[in-house]
Amino acid sequence: MGKVAFICNGSANSNIYPAFVLASSAIASGDDVIIFFTPAAVPALKPGFLESMTGKGMPDMKDLLEGVMVLGGRMMLCELGLEAHDVTASDLRDDITIGGATTFMAEIQDAKTTFSF
Amino acid sequence: MASIVLDALGLKCPQPILKIAIKAKELQPGDMLEVLADCPSFPVDIKAWCERTGKTLLFCATEGDGKHKAQVQF
Repeated sequence: MGKVAFICNGSANSNIYPAFVLASSAIASGDDVIIFFTPAAVPALKPGFLESMTGKGMPDMKDLLEGVMVLGGRMMLCELGLEAHDVTASDLRDDITIGGATTFMAEIQDAKTTFSF
Repeated sequence: MASIVLDALGLKCPQPILKIAIKAKELQPGDMLEVLADCPSFPVDIKAWCERTGKTLLFCATEGDGKHKAQVQF
């Protein structure tokens, strides 16, 4: 199976839902999935934010998130987001890693597909 | 050989497929999984998922009221 990388550029439904809908489909089909959050997406990584996200006609975000994580998906925040939003890692959910751009680019060098939302 | 029923009624795309993938972790080759779902894309999605993951879709039938029943051989 392949590897699919997702980039979330914000914390609005239009940034998060498409990423998690496609990420859960990909990981359910056996792909390796990594979701990278740019600094503008920091608010989405405050504890409980994703779990409480809703959208008319949308699947349950908590369910998608749990599924992606249970099946081995990874979430990474760009480290520039910390200072940009005056937060530290302890202010954010603990199932993410915080990394630099070079690490992310190395991670996805064999990704077949990349989406940006 | 286990035979398991997964009720995915009321769940929206891609939740039924995600539930199947999570359930698949505990199934063995030869096990049978029956899935009930009413999301409109389910019949096409389950076919695509089975083809991609090497499972056998024995059937996917629409039972009225938009409900679908699929049987997958692991």
